[in-house]
Amino acid sequence: MTTLERQYRLLLRAYPHNYRSDHGGELLDVLLETTEPGRRLPPAREAVALLVAGARTRLTQAARGRAWPDGLHLGVTVLTLIQLATLVPYAGRVPLWVAVSAAAFLAVLRGRVLLALPLVAAAGVKVWGITHGRPVLDHTILPVYADPLWDAPALYGTGGPIAPAVSYLVAVAGLAVLALRREPVRARSWAWVAAAPVLAGADPAWLDVGGGLGGGSMPVVARVALESALLAGAAWAGRLTGDHRWAIAAGAYLLPALAILFENLAAQTRQDAVHWIVLLTLTLVAAAMPHRGRRHAVL
Amino acid sequence: MAEGSRGLSEPAYFVLAALLDGPKHGHAIIKTVLALSEHRVKLPVGTLYGALDRLAAGGLVVLDREETVDGRRRRYFRLTEEGGTQLRAEALRLRQAASIVIGTALA
Repeated sequence: MTTLERQYRLLLRAYPHNYRSDHGGELLDVLLETTEPGRRLPPAREAVALLVAGARTRLTQAARGRAWPDGLHLGVTVLTLIQLATLVPYAGRVPLWVAVSAAAFLAVLRGRVLLALPLVAAAGVKVWGITHGRPVLDHTILPVYADPLWDAPALYGTGGPIAPAVSYLVAVAGLAVLALRREPVRARSWAWVAAAPVLAGADPAWLDVGGGLGGGSMPVVARVALESALLAGAAWAGRLTGDHRWAIAAGAYLLPALAILFENLAAQTRQDAVHWIVLLTLTLVAAAMPHRGRRHAVL
Repeated sequence: MAEGSRGLSEPAYFVLAALLDGPKHGHAIIKTVLALSEHRVKLPVGTLYGALDRLAAGGLVVLDREETVDGRRRRYFRLTEEGGTQLRAEALRLRQAASIVIGTALA
């Protein structure tokens, strides 16, 4: 196998597995036939086109089935992932609740709604206790300090109690709605699991508003950039497919984020205000794009 | 554009145009588009197959047949009646748009 073929095979991984199985060989043949002789690496234009077309194919396949339950499930998946990532730096102090949160996330991820519901609710009650300084469900010593590895403030020590409560309430309500439908929920990829430690490192405990963007630390900047990129991706997906599921997920993410805004209004810096405007604008764009995608479908 | 109607992107337009004289496989479509556009449009493979997928989903092209040549599988695509209608409508629209600048009156 030549270097060129190896590179093309790597790029073709942008496509979903079933598409590669059906058409990957055909695409590879045409790629090799149309690339000028003597090249060792794919032309940048071909590489970008493969990545974009692969992503587009994935989104088109993901947009099958009813949009709102899948969008709601995606939103709850993101929320429970952030809830877990928030607790990860405190694993040495509250191992039971990190385990409960991890189990809740995995249950949501794999579409086990009825299993996830009590786990998320229990973790939510515990977090409510921590934010209110009450040792509910077990005897946790408050405040909960981070493990020595992490340079983090005490758990929920820098924000108010409303935002975490909204996050858990939205997750529980979303799961309850999905459970009431009594229809199977799609199991998402195990690849999501890799995001938990990555987000923990990027400081997902987005409650330190005062020291957040105002502090301008690299993890916070990285987190805001990632958040913006994902919301822009949700808008792009909605535009391409004319489907609302990504906008619904963005909305579920926005609710606790807005709670942080209102809860910490007095402590907002100018950078924080910009962050909220970007967040709100991207979510609104994500909500509007599916309509535009339907009105102006381009083949 | 009315809701539900579909515009044609430049790659889709040229792909449909390349199929006017009969079914073709991917590589042949790329070569035909290059010739039709006087070497201006070289469709990247990802763009070509993405356009073909959307055109097939929209009923503008269909799979005509599959052949295996030298162990290579090739899908031949064919223009549908709907595809021909949309292509002609787009060509008329482009001519009308061009006439605004060039000053050519439409018949």
